[in-house]
Amino acid sequence: MSSLKSFIKAVRNSKTIATERAAIRKESAKIRTAFRDVHLDDQNRRVNISKLLYLYILGEPTYFGQVECLKLLASNTFASKRLGYLATMLILDENQEVLTLLTNSLDNDMKHPNQYVAGLALVTLGNIASPELARDLYTNVDTILMGTNPYLRKKAAIVAAKLIEKDPDLSEIFLPRIPSLLNEKSHGVVLGALYLMRSIFSNDESSREALKVQIPRLLAHLRLLTTTGYSPEYDVKGVPDPFLFVSLLQTLRILLANDDTNTNLESLNDLITQVCSKIDNAKSSANSVLYETVQTIFMINSDSSLKVLGINILSKFLTQKDNNTRYVALNTLLNVINYEPLAVQRHRATVVGCLQDGDISIRRRALELTFAIMNAQNVRVLTKELLTFLKNSDDELKPYITTQLTIACNKYSPNLKWHFETLISLLKLVGNYFSSDILSSILALVMQNTDIELTKFLVTELVKASSSFYNEYGLCLVTTWCIGEYADLILGTSYEDPVTKKSIAITEAFLVQLLETFLNISLYDESSQTNQIRIYALTAALKLSAKFKDAKNIESLRKIINSSKDNFNLEIQIRAIEYSEIFGQPITTKKGLLERMPPPPVKTHEGISLINRTSLVSKSSEHKSSSAGADSGNLLLDLLGDDDKSPIDGFNGGSSSSQQNVKHETTIDLLSDIFGMSSSIPSTTTPAAPSNSKNSDIINLFGSTTNTTTTTTTTTPVIPLPSVIQQQQQQQPKVESSVEAFNDGNLSVTFTPKDIGNGTATLEVNVANKTTSSTISNINILCAVTKHQKLQLSPITKNVLAPGDKSSLGLKITGPSGGKIKIRVKVGYELGGESVTKQFDFGSLKQTL
Amino acid sequence: MSIQFLIALNRQGKLRVSKWYNTITDIQKKIIIRKVHKLISSRDHQKQSNFVNFDNKKLVYRRYNGLFFIICIDSQDNELSYLEIIHLFVEILDSYFNNVCELDLIFNFFKIYYVLDELFLAGEFQETSKELILERLNYIDRLD
Repeated sequence: MSSLKSFIKAVRNSKTIATERAAIRKESAKIRTAFRDVHLDDQNRRVNISKLLYLYILGEPTYFGQVECLKLLASNTFASKRLGYLATMLILDENQEVLTLLTNSLDNDMKHPNQYVAGLALVTLGNIASPELARDLYTNVDTILMGTNPYLRKKAAIVAAKLIEKDPDLSEIFLPRIPSLLNEKSHGVVLGALYLMRSIFSNDESSREALKVQIPRLLAHLRLLTTTGYSPEYDVKGVPDPFLFVSLLQTLRILLANDDTNTNLESLNDLITQVCSKIDNAKSSANSVLYETVQTIFMINSDSSLKVLGINILSKFLTQKDNNTRYVALNTLLNVINYEPLAVQRHRATVVGCLQDGDISIRRRALELTFAIMNAQNVRVLTKELLTFLKNSDDELKPYITTQLTIACNKYSPNLKWHFETLISLLKLVGNYFSSDILSSILALVMQNTDIELTKFLVTELVKASSSFYNEYGLCLVTTWCIGEYADLILGTSYEDPVTKKSIAITEAFLVQLLETFLNISLYDESSQTNQIRIYALTAALKLSAKFKDAKNIESLRKIINSSKDNFNLEIQIRAIEYSEIFGQPITTKKGLLERMPPPPVKTHEGISLINRTSLVSKSSEHKSSSAGADSGNLLLDLLGDDDKSPIDGFNGGSSSSQQNVKHETTIDLLSDIFGMSSSIPSTTTPAAPSNSKNSDIINLFGSTTNTTTTTTTTTPVIPLPSVIQQQQQQQPKVESSVEAFNDGNLSVTFTPKDIGNGTATLEVNVANKTTSSTISNINILCAVTKHQKLQLSPITKNVLAPGDKSSLGLKITGPSGGKIKIRVKVGYELGGESVTKQFDFGSLKQTL
Repeated sequence: MSIQFLIALNRQGKLRVSKWYNTITDIQKKIIIRKVHKLISSRDHQKQSNFVNFDNKKLVYRRYNGLFFIICIDSQDNELSYLEIIHLFVEILDSYFNNVCELDLIFNFFKIYYVLDELFLAGEFQETSKELILERLNYIDRLD
């Protein structure tokens, strides 16, 4: 009979995997043979079980030894029991049927006079308890809890907590034991009691009030710990038992979260202040306590000065050398920024400093935090910092920065000139890291601008930038488009070359050359980018043909278009052929066709997140939503508030109704035929007032969430941006079944899911007048979703409905993926002079976010 | 809010200890160990923090020479505190084996479990005093 040691050696000395496998197989076979021997003695069984455990460590099958483990622990010698229980815990789990054979041994051993034997049985029960074992053995655990032995009571308290998880009904049995456990001095017992409290709190709602009665006892422990100077037994780097500290704070905050009226809050607030001032030695153990304290501050209803203290602690963490401390500080700041944004603002410099950190996960969080603290006051400073950061940042962060910074500029930019300058610097630096969505929103912004001088400035700057940074895809794309649209503004002007300081005139030939340069660059990462540039260049060439005067240059433009007629890409080829047709048209026709594009609305983009965060905040809101009732009312109120801010209903209502009775002029029909697109290009011929937008108006537009594309100028859209077309195509409804969620005989509301998945859901809400003769007016739809989801709502297309008439609005929900779609809807309308308000819930969709 | 599992791996990804505090199948365990090793071994230990997101959980780890001690915890848990407990665990092992090295752990792997079961129970801290735990372990060893 070889020993465990020789088995381990045999495995370790194996030179090849094959010999190792052979050694393992041989030993495994020997163990099986040994187990088959009915007269196997204790000693040999022990050796075999210890080898079996080594097989377990190696990841080999061990199921054949399950019964032998149970036989071993039933032995009378302590050594056998110890190994037997150990093996049982590792090899068996609560799903094994043989577990029933264990009940008897556990029952006997928990009553064993030797505390260590009873301890083994308790630990085993705690690790592999099944619901059946929990019900069979809880009385044994309870007896030990009522005893006086601290070594066993601490174990029993944890086991009790575990049993409650398996069978929540047991909480009644163990709840009364808590006070006496909390009176113990032993830290182990108190730790056990705290875990027991947390377990009861989460498994048995009815006991929560009873648990809160114990809060003063917990506070007393916390106070004692805070005032203890040095305790040799539990000290960790100058902090008396940080683990107990953490557990106490954790339990207190679970008990007090969302309980704003508890009388103990004040003393907890006081104690927290004391803890913060006492535990302050910048050692890792102290930091773990402070970190827990900060989390507690933001989970309970603490006063504002305490919250500021919390933020200050975190910012102090940021200045420490230890990566781990900085990491948790940034993470927590991201979670709590909404509570005390101003306090976080104050530490802007520290946060920005972390952008230079050596750890990418820290840089990533610092970056996200930088965007979170951005506002109208600091946007200039922070943008400058971010542009510097971009110069040597990680490639994987660049797309995030371009998107976020563009969004932030839309929100906070102080003026349009600065905005354009920033965008150009961004395009110059990281033009290859823009998403097509963001690029088209930049173009939309350019087109929205009505200040000719500014556009002139912008286009000149773009031309200037792209003649030296022509391998930045985004920059070239934007420049190409702008040349096509606005060449007439800059022709004949000049700029100073940044390197040679020479003045360069912008002539027709120069622009043609620039376009050719873009087309000849094949440095872009993907062929799709090269194709996209070509598509834009073709459009630009066509547009320029109506603006150029010199026949030679016009001929060069024709060459550009003709050269793409045999392109492998179908889209490019079709365009080239179509464009060359238009190219040959008389100039008067072309002038009308190639008129400047009407400004499309700028799409609002959701900020994106780098990190999947499960925040404190969301957790506390979960707790809140479980207390139902009042909250849902608030949600609706929130919504009402939001609605006031959203752009005027009338505007959208008007334009979309005009959209319905649009008669396309022949040119448009012609064009839409050319492009193979039916009337899906929304266009209106109604001469609406030319947009008198000042900068502020434009910025307001970013706040709008309109899905319908509307145009407000007399001109007809000629060549929509490719990406716009794509978007429109995406918006074409897929065949989806609609669900009627509400019908009171007068009005029905149906939901049609359009696109659900990846954390977002787009739904169309259709409202129909179901009456036979009455007109329903003042229709008002308010929706609310659960707190961890976000809702975007487009205004209703028509709020007056004739009998049988229909109207719709778009609805977009974003939130953590996997979340169920639940919408609370409040419908208000007027019928026959009477106003009606109804409320209903909609949640019958099977798809999740 | 407790430990999901604790494992010790060497740099090659060989498992030295594994303790699972929730019920999962052997195949899942193998997959997890492989994923964890891939995640941890590729990290820069000078510059990077000792925390990694792992599925919806967090890994907290420390490296002692060639050996990683890794604890998987809930995303809400206090990483710093678990980092301290790993250190406490290793300190106890060090005193218990009298200057511990990887070989001790290989040949006495079952003893690591004895230590673990005095420190944690069902994934929760059970005792946080190094002296008390060592005292008890030595006493129990005499019973063997």
